[in-house]
Amino acid sequence: MEIGVQKQTQEEKQVQPEQFNKLDDSGDKKSTGYCGFLTVEYYTPYFNVTETDVIQRIQATFLPFRPDFLNITKDNPDLWGPIWINATLIFLITAIANLRQIDQEKENQQFDVGYVPQATALLYIIAFGTPAILAIVMKILGVDLSFFQTICLYGYSMSTLLPITILCYFQNELFLWLIIVYGVGNSILFLIFNLKEELDKLQIQKKYIIIGIVVIMQLSLYLFYKLVFFSYVSEGKVEAKVASSDSKIPGN
Amino acid sequence: MEFEVQENQANNSIQGIINLQPQVNQVQAQQQEIPIKQTDLQVSSTLEESVAVTLLRDLRQIGVKLRCVLVPTMSTDNAKELRNWDLWGPLVFCLMLALTLSLSGNNDDGPGIFATIFVLIWVGSFVVTLNAQLLGGKVSFFQSVCVLGYCVFPINLGALFTLFFSFFYLKMFLVIGCFLWSTYSAVGFMKLLIPEQKRILALYPVILFYLFLSWFALIV
Repeated sequence: MEIGVQKQTQEEKQVQPEQFNKLDDSGDKKSTGYCGFLTVEYYTPYFNVTETDVIQRIQATFLPFRPDFLNITKDNPDLWGPIWINATLIFLITAIANLRQIDQEKENQQFDVGYVPQATALLYIIAFGTPAILAIVMKILGVDLSFFQTICLYGYSMSTLLPITILCYFQNELFLWLIIVYGVGNSILFLIFNLKEELDKLQIQKKYIIIGIVVIMQLSLYLFYKLVFFSYVSEGKVEAKVASSDSKIPGN
Repeated sequence: MEFEVQENQANNSIQGIINLQPQVNQVQAQQQEIPIKQTDLQVSSTLEESVAVTLLRDLRQIGVKLRCVLVPTMSTDNAKELRNWDLWGPLVFCLMLALTLSLSGNNDDGPGIFATIFVLIWVGSFVVTLNAQLLGGKVSFFQSVCVLGYCVFPINLGALFTLFFSFFYLKMFLVIGCFLWSTYSAVGFMKLLIPEQKRILALYPVILFYLFLSWFALIV
């Protein structure tokens, strides 16, 4: 019995290292293959930009008729822009919405900041989900743009929303609609001009499908932006009007 | 008989050895008397000391690190001190800030604000540190989270002061001052660890983070 056990343990010892080696190999393959996107190193190449690069890219979004952007970013798509432009947007939305609330009430102002978590989630889902959908559609139709390039393109197109958000401080409805229309036009032109090279390689029907998707997405984003993010402020307006009308009635 | 004698002899020799050992220990102890006593005390004391002593020691460490972080003189002592990161300090300041802002009488949604600030501080520190790492900075993850958390302290002070004053422009002035203090300290630390060309890319998120927190301190 003892001899048998010893033999077995020796055999097991001979077998086990091989098994461990096999496990290590398959584990290594898995860590670079399927679960690689969970590591930090996977994303490091997408942050390979300098300050001047980022400023150049943002400038390119405001000049949509010069389609430099895709040429600049083709080899070096970055993720810094999309992430932090959206973070700046959220801060600006919070700040401007609160500033708009200041003008109406004078004493004991209550600023509502409860919408910040929802606004953050919505904005990031739009900023990363929409280009994901666009990239999937383009892959199906045969365009040769990688996933990260689409995210980069779309994220930088959100930078047109930055001055629009700041200008939304002024409460003139006509002015707001004007700048929203400008924003829609600018971002649609930016996206289409930059995709043009890639799209020209396709058949006409597929080209118009993609252009149509882009237009619909931008229109819905800007409408959504106007109606949802700034309705927080118009709700404040309505409450102030109700409060002031109530206070007038007992006085009268 | 022989066995008994041998056993006795063995016992005597063993006892002799046992008797010798205390003498050897005493000699060693006399030569290294103080370190042995201290290490023995430290090993047993952290388990047996009272809770008050433990808390006071942790608070003292938090105080020391706070001084290193907030008096922005970048000496090498500061850098060494900061390498012993701990997350107690950030937790204390985060909770203080969230409590201050949620309990101030100026808003309806206390629990919501507490949750927002808590999540904002921890997720914000996480994202800012991750950003610095992705840009190629040689930052240890928790060390950076630790420094960002300690630099929240001036904003904490600002939030406490805004509770007592009601004049808006005075509050704004105070909060701007605290924001500049926090940002200067955090930037002073992070600046050293990022390559030259990407510095603003790594520091802008830090500025945005403290700007967001200062905005909450001012508004709420």
